[in-house]
Amino acid sequence: MSHPATLMLKNDLSELARLCEFIDEFGGRAGLPSKTIADMHLALDEVVTNVISYAYPTFGEHQITIRLAIDADQMVVMEVEDDGQVFDPLTVGAPDLSTPLEERTVGGLGMHLVRQLTDSLDYRRYAGKNHLTMKRKLASREA
Amino acid sequence: MEILESKDHGAVILGLRGRLDASNTVAFEEQVLRLLDSGEQRLVIDMSELEYISSAGLRVFLITAKRLAKTSGKLALSALTEQVREVFDIAGFSSIFQIYPSRKDALTALQ
Repeated sequence: MSHPATLMLKNDLSELARLCEFIDEFGGRAGLPSKTIADMHLALDEVVTNVISYAYPTFGEHQITIRLAIDADQMVVMEVEDDGQVFDPLTVGAPDLSTPLEERTVGGLGMHLVRQLTDSLDYRRYAGKNHLTMKRKLASREA
Repeated sequence: MEILESKDHGAVILGLRGRLDASNTVAFEEQVLRLLDSGEQRLVIDMSELEYISSAGLRVFLITAKRLAKTSGKLALSALTEQVREVFDIAGFSSIFQIYPSRKDALTALQ
């Protein structure tokens, strides 16, 4: 793993601004293409927003850990770890994108974006925490 | 994020600037709903300076379009940046919204 970086966030949506800065710093240091950095922003934002919004039904202050690195296969590795309730985001079904406006909902849209912007997703629960690992090819993807 | 509100030929124009994510969608939603509650029926959202949108932001667009559809109102979006356009495409939103290249085109379409 090269360029490892770690960020701790509180479970508050105002923390998204710090996540944003952290990704830009990492992308700059690792010399990532702007499209890769843009995809990282959206994928991490969607996952972290879900955790902050739904993982802690009793509120209280919690810590979410973000780890970024580049692995030996030239993949950007993005890990999100939280101590919220058990939740496997990979079980979220794909939204139906063919329904007319009146029936359209945003349920599942966040995870749909994450799936489209990453190359692999892995979820594990251990030591009382949710661990979601997203990987994305370092180079620009075909549109 | 900044929201610049103006009026032109009876349509309200909201110019979005910056990043629209879960930390600031509430302000955007409140501003749109206040306009709809006051009876505005023609809305242009100028996105030429919107750099970023997440699914939380998409939700407000969906709510707005549904509300206006019920009252036969009109919503037109204009000048999506490349990044925002991609999110609209992946989310399947490009096919359910009226999207125009410029604010002027959007306003013309609402006349």
